[in-house]
Amino acid sequence: MFELIPWRNYRASLVRPRKDLFDWVFNEVEVPRIWETEREWVPAFDVSETESEIIVRAELPGMDVADIDITLTDGLLTLKGEKKQEKEDERENYHRLERRYGSFSRTLALPKVVKAEAIDASYKDGVLTVTLPKGDEHKPKKIEVKS
Amino acid sequence: MSDKELQVRGKQEAPADREQTRPGPVFMPAVDIFESGDVITLLADVPGVSSDRINIDVREDQLTITAEIDPQKSEEERYLLHEYETGMYQRAFSLSDRVDQSKISATMKDGVLRLDLPKAEKAKPRRIEVKTD
Repeated sequence: MFELIPWRNYRASLVRPRKDLFDWVFNEVEVPRIWETEREWVPAFDVSETESEIIVRAELPGMDVADIDITLTDGLLTLKGEKKQEKEDERENYHRLERRYGSFSRTLALPKVVKAEAIDASYKDGVLTVTLPKGDEHKPKKIEVKS
Repeated sequence: MSDKELQVRGKQEAPADREQTRPGPVFMPAVDIFESGDVITLLADVPGVSSDRINIDVREDQLTITAEIDPQKSEEERYLLHEYETGMYQRAFSLSDRVDQSKISATMKDGVLRLDLPKAEKAKPRRIEVKTD
């Protein structure tokens, strides 16, 4: 029986999120999960800052823009999405399966207040760039000393 | 939350089997390889690479993918969180004589390279008819 389990199940089990014991036991006994390759994953992020902007970049190769969801609530920026495995009927004979599929969600606490209405997001070559202009109160201001 | 146990998926650095002419890390792109009918398809994740910065070389039965990640950070940016590294992608595969090397085609879309490797005539699945007298 053991040798009949596909090899990709083994890899998937390494990244399986263990929520708590109950969930874990539940997941273990759920038989169809053996065939599932779509799991949660965490894309790599860069967050950088200039004088006027905060820039968030995420590596999301092969995504459909419609599947990316960006929300800003109370200074928390959440990027969510799902990378779907293209379903092609004849894609049966896998030699390698290293790319990640499934859903991801990541929330960043923004270090500064940003102008929510001026946020810009673009997707190019598999990289998502979110540009968040800082609020005016963070712009350097020169204060004159009166004599 | 389960998020604590999920690891950020960074790039995997390639084994240094050859010297690079430029500084910077070399990563191994994650690939899917599958067969469907007459074609073997290779999908490689190369986020941050534009199609003119990728080079596919077939030589002596070895297919080498080399790609350069465009650094997107400008001078005045200061990192608050840095997980996404830039450098090069490189990975080589040996091709068997089952692949028709003259017919390999490549496309790039949204940071994913797709290579279609048509099977050589002799490796194509063939159905043999049984004749009856």
